[in-house]
Amino acid sequence: MNLIVYRYHEGMAEPRYDRFELDPRPGMTVLGALFEVQDRFDDSLAFRYSCRGAVCGSCAMLINKVPRLACRTQLSSLLAGKNQVSLSFYPAIEETISWNPEKEVLVEPLPHLPVIRDLIVDMQAFFQKYQFVEPVARPTGTPPEDERLMEPVAVRELEVYTNCVLCAACYGACPVDGKNQDYLGPAALATLYRFRIDPRDASGTVRLDRADTGNGWWACEFHGNCRTVCPKGVPPILAIGRARQELKSEKKRGERP
Amino acid sequence: MRTSTIHSYDVLIVGGGLTGLRAALRVSDAGLKGAVISKVHPLRSHSVAAQGGMNASLGNVLGEDGRHDSWESHAYDTVKGSDYLADQDAVARMCRQAPAAVIELEHMGMVWSRLEDGKIAQRPFGGAGFPRTCYAADRTGHNALHTLYQQVLDRKIPIYEEFFVLSLVNHDGRCGGCTALEIMTGEVHGFAAKAVLMATGGFGRIFSRSTNALINTGDGQALALRGGAPLKDMEFVQFHPTTLFGTNILITEGARGEGGILLNRKGERFMERYAPTSIDLAPRDVVARAIVQEFEEGRGFDGGYVHLDLHHLGEDRIRERLPGIRQIAIDFAGVDPVTDPIPVQPGQHYSMGGIDVDIDGATPVKGLYAAGECACISVHGANRLGGNSLLETVVFGRLVAGTIVKDMPSLPEPDIEPVQSAMEEADARIGQILEQEGGTPLITVMDALKETMFESFGIFRDVRSMQAGLAEIKKMQEKVSQISPGFKERAVNPALIRYLELEGMLLLAEVVARGALAREESRGSHTRTDHPDRDDSRFLKHTLASIREGMIEISYQPVRLGMFEPKERVY
Repeated sequence: MNLIVYRYHEGMAEPRYDRFELDPRPGMTVLGALFEVQDRFDDSLAFRYSCRGAVCGSCAMLINKVPRLACRTQLSSLLAGKNQVSLSFYPAIEETISWNPEKEVLVEPLPHLPVIRDLIVDMQAFFQKYQFVEPVARPTGTPPEDERLMEPVAVRELEVYTNCVLCAACYGACPVDGKNQDYLGPAALATLYRFRIDPRDASGTVRLDRADTGNGWWACEFHGNCRTVCPKGVPPILAIGRARQELKSEKKRGERP
Repeated sequence: MRTSTIHSYDVLIVGGGLTGLRAALRVSDAGLKGAVISKVHPLRSHSVAAQGGMNASLGNVLGEDGRHDSWESHAYDTVKGSDYLADQDAVARMCRQAPAAVIELEHMGMVWSRLEDGKIAQRPFGGAGFPRTCYAADRTGHNALHTLYQQVLDRKIPIYEEFFVLSLVNHDGRCGGCTALEIMTGEVHGFAAKAVLMATGGFGRIFSRSTNALINTGDGQALALRGGAPLKDMEFVQFHPTTLFGTNILITEGARGEGGILLNRKGERFMERYAPTSIDLAPRDVVARAIVQEFEEGRGFDGGYVHLDLHHLGEDRIRERLPGIRQIAIDFAGVDPVTDPIPVQPGQHYSMGGIDVDIDGATPVKGLYAAGECACISVHGANRLGGNSLLETVVFGRLVAGTIVKDMPSLPEPDIEPVQSAMEEADARIGQILEQEGGTPLITVMDALKETMFESFGIFRDVRSMQAGLAEIKKMQEKVSQISPGFKERAVNPALIRYLELEGMLLLAEVVARGALAREESRGSHTRTDHPDRDDSRFLKHTLASIREGMIEISYQPVRLGMFEPKERVY
């Protein structure tokens, strides 16, 4: 098989694509293939990695035109045409190079963030948006001596969002992030909603104000790519929809301007 | 020269995992100027992968006969689990602080799994007399790390992300900062500080078959050793019994805590023979050895694994308590534990040894401190109990930062000049590495090292195989100068980073080897077939390794007993 890899660094006029011929071992992931290239062919190939077990969120990239974690994506399943993902179209997944998905795997950097080198993107804008939503607990009153009690069912609702690993796959899959660089994006909004629904939090719906803008809740166009690509099954689209619903009904009731 | 300006702080924290972030909060709360330096974004630290939980004697779930857990009981289990090598005053400190540490995370907003009454849920874990392990499904580390990161962001504590520390600045017998390579630009930075806290995690990746993140290359231990601080008990390396066959991704002990059982090729629940009372929930060293013995006696599956069977727990319980494990088994082994057993084998998991520190987290080098997995304080002794490492990170991250806060008035202002010369040295060193000529590919040395460590210093050890292993390590150390990174630029150079990691790994490998050879007994994770018994008369003591005139020198330090007299370990 061939691994086709996007290459770019400062000073290059245009990115280029390199082809590496590999003989994949059973179970080899895209991350494993990238290491194979680094170890055997070209030690300058740059990509991020850490846990190799789909928990740290380092290695989100565009694989066969879908944002995925490289460590969790098996070459064999890509070549066999399994795990096909259909996304609402956006410019970043337009054809850049022709490739044969039965014999080749195409690896490119995560869209919507500037490329530093090869598959490494600058995550600064992504984390700034995360920070913008003030993702920190603001609990009620002085803390009790013991834990604050929580219903198991409330935990289950929260877990849907706390499972986010901040890999930015959703950010690279969101058509709105592609055209509006000020849009907070799915991960930041899902995080904000996670604090909104935390029963221990004192802020209530005031939390939602932070994104009650044209670049926040109201910018989402409900393409749903965020939910489709999330490696942890987090549904930002659901959080955004619920937040909008809540804001709308408060406005209707005259509780908000 | 590609050096930048010098940054000045009161306290520099190297490492952005749970220990480093907890320490950063303590430093910030004391009004000191602190910063975190990490070779990855903090959320990519290996802490995030911790699954099963954090031990604390909250007593939210009562033990057998309705008994209530206590910190003393937690301490006893920890000391017994350590095969009596842990320092009991440090263990007592950790276990007393444990409930407060768990509650504190809860107050910071961490989501824990809950009991029906709303309290934090606790599950049984190996080697524990009570259901003591507080958990967040099987994503405890993830929830804890994200919570601490949020607190650090909220306090606007500076974080130098993707900075690889090159050296500690030693001056007048004390540590006064460090130098670091900014990976994305290739610039060498200098950091001047009154105190440096190492919180860099373990060195599991010197072994093949490791559950550790790929970044766990022991950089902090190597830096400290070169910087004059001894390493302690490095021969004690934990092999976790249940790592996924093929990738060695961790399958939490919590899977057995929830009722999962181990089966051999004949379908026998073999742990009944090795640990009649605790069975599948015996401590990790006991279970790992049992599995290897099953392999050796022909009762393992081809390729070397046994089955971890969860299907009798039912889909609901698996989905609720072990959702991450289920996903890992599906993604990486093509097995759904709801219907089929998970193929597992023992793999390297944890480094009990580390930078030698006293009970307050201070190394013998003034100004240099260490906490968490990279340190050896020693609460785990010869074998760590599951659920005690997450606990150690937050308890000692806070306590050791507290020591620094207390020591601050007595620590002199750092000198800029030694930082400047250390930067120049580090810069020259990088230049030298990039100019190196020779035909040895990095990966051949790296792979050979990992295999040698697993084969010669794995679960069962003996003098012949260890001597051969040490000879191999020495040869590899010489070969390193023949590795020539193909890529010669300084900015975003993965070959350079991996080279720097490898140098440290080879140093640590030798320390592990020498400590293991010198310890002629079996204790906890260190099992010698040529010395099968524990020998308290000769070896109830900590191993210390230092560099003297370029050579590794081994010495010993007494164990601090006090609460529990050493006894035979029976489970």
